[in-house]
Amino acid sequence: MIRFLARRLLWFVITLFVVMSVSFVLMRSVKGGPFDSERTLNEAIEANIQARYHLDWPLWKQFLQYVGPINLDENGPQFFERDEQGLHLFRGARFFFSDEAGFHLIRADPGVDLWTGVLAGDFGPSFRYRDWSVNDIIGQSLPISALLGLVAMMWALALGISAGIASALRRGSKLDLTMRLAATGGIALPNFVIASFLIILFVFLIPLFPVAGWGTIRHMILPGFCLGLVFAAYIARLTRTGMLEVLSQDHIRTAHAKGLAPRTVILRHALKGGILPVVSYLGPATAGILTGSLVIERIFFIPGTGSHFVNSATNRDYTLSMGVTILYTVLVYTLNTVVDLAYTFLDPRIQLDER
Amino acid sequence: MARKTIESRWDFGGRDHGALLRESRSLRGESLWQDAWRRLRRNRAAAWSLAFLVLFGLTAFLAPILPLPSPVAMDLSAAEALAPRWPWAHTRLAAEWDPVEDADVAPGVLPTRALGNLANDGWRHQALLQFHAPESGGDGALRPGGGLDGLAALAALVRRVSGRVPRVETRPGPRAGVLEHTLCVPLHRDDAQRVDYLPTGVEGELLVWHSGEQDAERVTYDLSVPYDPGAVQRWSVDQRTRRGQLYVTPLGRADSVSGYQYTFTLQHVPRGEPAVLVLNGERYGPEGERLAPAPPGPKRDLQTTAAREHIGEVHPDLGRRVEAALGETLEEALQETPQETPGEDLEKTGETRRAVRRGGWAAGVELVTLSAQDGYWELNALDRWMLGLRARVFGSWQTGNWMGTDENGRDIAARIVWGSRTSILVALAATACSLIIGVVYGALSGLLGGRVDNVMMRVVDILYSVPFIFVVIFVITIVNEYRTELEDTYGIDRELIFFVVIGAIYWLTMARVVRGQVLSLKNSEFIEATRVLGASTARILFAHLVPNVLSIVIVYLTLTIPAVMLFEAFLSFLGLGIEPPKVSWGLLAVDGTKALNPLQYYWWLVVFPALAMGSTLLTLNVLGDGLRDALDPKLRGKD
Repeated sequence: MIRFLARRLLWFVITLFVVMSVSFVLMRSVKGGPFDSERTLNEAIEANIQARYHLDWPLWKQFLQYVGPINLDENGPQFFERDEQGLHLFRGARFFFSDEAGFHLIRADPGVDLWTGVLAGDFGPSFRYRDWSVNDIIGQSLPISALLGLVAMMWALALGISAGIASALRRGSKLDLTMRLAATGGIALPNFVIASFLIILFVFLIPLFPVAGWGTIRHMILPGFCLGLVFAAYIARLTRTGMLEVLSQDHIRTAHAKGLAPRTVILRHALKGGILPVVSYLGPATAGILTGSLVIERIFFIPGTGSHFVNSATNRDYTLSMGVTILYTVLVYTLNTVVDLAYTFLDPRIQLDER
Repeated sequence: MARKTIESRWDFGGRDHGALLRESRSLRGESLWQDAWRRLRRNRAAAWSLAFLVLFGLTAFLAPILPLPSPVAMDLSAAEALAPRWPWAHTRLAAEWDPVEDADVAPGVLPTRALGNLANDGWRHQALLQFHAPESGGDGALRPGGGLDGLAALAALVRRVSGRVPRVETRPGPRAGVLEHTLCVPLHRDDAQRVDYLPTGVEGELLVWHSGEQDAERVTYDLSVPYDPGAVQRWSVDQRTRRGQLYVTPLGRADSVSGYQYTFTLQHVPRGEPAVLVLNGERYGPEGERLAPAPPGPKRDLQTTAAREHIGEVHPDLGRRVEAALGETLEEALQETPQETPGEDLEKTGETRRAVRRGGWAAGVELVTLSAQDGYWELNALDRWMLGLRARVFGSWQTGNWMGTDENGRDIAARIVWGSRTSILVALAATACSLIIGVVYGALSGLLGGRVDNVMMRVVDILYSVPFIFVVIFVITIVNEYRTELEDTYGIDRELIFFVVIGAIYWLTMARVVRGQVLSLKNSEFIEATRVLGASTARILFAHLVPNVLSIVIVYLTLTIPAVMLFEAFLSFLGLGIEPPKVSWGLLAVDGTKALNPLQYYWWLVVFPALAMGSTLLTLNVLGDGLRDALDPKLRGKD
């Protein structure tokens, strides 16, 4: 167990490093910064912006600063001004007025943090939203996305498992056939198409739900359902297969022979083994739901992380999109590990140290 | 097959020989493929899926032949998306379009190429159809009135056929000293009106200067914009796309609302910020402010100078001439539109008309190019030939808008069929890419084994835990930044990168599967036996390993194709996939989704693309499952 976790942690660090360095290199290799505008900026303003975002540092130092955890910029952001001698550090910012002793020499920004960078949990300032740090943006939008994902996951599990059980119990019947066809259809259609069908149906034709927005439970049902549907289809298929395999085993026959009610046999004895494939699928499903929410959030105008990701990529807000990428990597990896752990608790036959 | 004489104690008769063959076959067993094919045929759902997919592929391939509605013949009175109409509901303007007859205007050229453009919906924002006509021949000598007169006849034809007023643009041709006139047919009705009111104006020259390093970065761009001699309001250049926009207020109109917008494309990638725009000698800043005269001695490339001199000296007043010529001939052409008198010998009339037209055509217009590069699809020679076939077979007949139109009047059915080509291309190209990477990687890893295998598979594990979609979005955004350089310098299409990037995600599973199969095969007995028999490594690889790996590869391919199609749709939805005016199913579905609003929902924009996409992906999935069952019976029933 400990060994397994240690190994996972090692690979996690490697993965994170790869993601960080690749996205960092990609980000810096793009010509033109996010601050290029139609007007040419004043030299001093440009120098200040560069200093603020450390764009004047060598690349390795920028990378170290981004990764952290130690803040390499011991002075905090510096300021430049321009006079007849040219560009130099702005001295004025280093003084401040105190009542007792007049002027004091202080650091430009007394509140410089010792710890910065991704390792310290700081994704840096957003390049596009000037007054926002990436942490602020994520902190505001992640709960919304998480809630949406949770609703979707609940839909997927409830629909998928019940449909899977139903079609496994009535194997070969019309119900089974319909369910399987519906499941393949759910896998085959992109979720935004399903979403638009459902919007036509349940918003315009039968006005049950609001068309877009976020806040109340009624806002969550439709997006969650659209997001969860594809995974419900997969889960239904997995449950059906798993249940079919379990139902043909001896202990189920024994349970029936003991005279247990069919419901008890299915729910208490068969289901436990039957949903094991579903549990192992939960990791990829979570990743998929996170990804799928990019689209769903856009259709239903939900202010979640996914929409931020797409916007930041198109707006060239590099820190934000890197931050979201790293965040999602961490999430997916952690959830995968948790799922693997849960799997061993559910099925003691599985050994963790296989890989 | 001739019966061989068998020299043995048992002399077989003909029947015995056949029986022996049958028996030996049953003993030897069927080949894997025969067996799989038999199973696949027995699986009814998979067989139907296969038939459906073949039909669909055929439709996509034969798209140019199908008599699908073209937007030129659309009902111009409609200002919004039209609901589906039954096939027998005739499109109004289609009846007047007779490509076979009108083909005689330019024998052998017009029906194929022009109709090609029409069917292909080769529309840009404004121009549906472009004809270039050089003013002079290759010798550089001017043919007075030549190019324009011919264009005027053509313009009249287009006007009669489509109900839209074409516009003539004139600019220096690729050869020095040759002007080219381009006939642009507007797509939108609004454009048609605008063109009607707008005088073609004076031929102008546009130079965009760049600020930056004082001397080194001065690059000039030459363009000619036919513009209304008025005041430049403002202008801008998008550095990424090289496209620029110019807003002009006509003189005598004080309100800046009624301005005209021109778009132009720079010939080079601008380095630095475009700072000064020179239009007919006047210099303008970005906000339209008039600047002081140009500083002396700027560097100009030769082409600019040549073109400018040419415009200045040879045709000082070209635009007005064009307009006058076009106006007169248009009037004539409209008056002489065919009015068949009953009782007159139809054949004779036709011949006369043809002769007149041929004469008019021969007067000077030589079709240099017909640009269809901005259509749904880049037509190749085969497509053009098929379009000609369509003209010959169906003539002017075309179906109604039985799937409706979108808000630009483009027929949904045509878009779905042409879009299927793009979608299939994306799916096949990306899948092929994933196939190559995955198979090579997996096979290498499996064959080499040991530590190498371990490392290679760890890399795959790492890549698995990266949320790839984010990386892809990242990469495509960055590629978009460099698209013009890539196209100009290396000739790499953006779409090529798109295929490669998609393919590069989907190879992981393929690599794992192939590696597993190779590992299990490598130590199997029949490979041992082959090795013992002294077969070379290459022979083992290609004669034994590859065919055995192939079945599982095929299964994964059929399951990768729908996944790739879905991913293309996903990227198109985010605006990172195929770009209009090209069309793909993903793009269509996105358009449909975007057209949804509470006031008016155009259901046909959603339903039909979704049906096409859903049915294809569904059948592909069913076929994939069927193939897996057929090729690998051990996996039957497992997901």
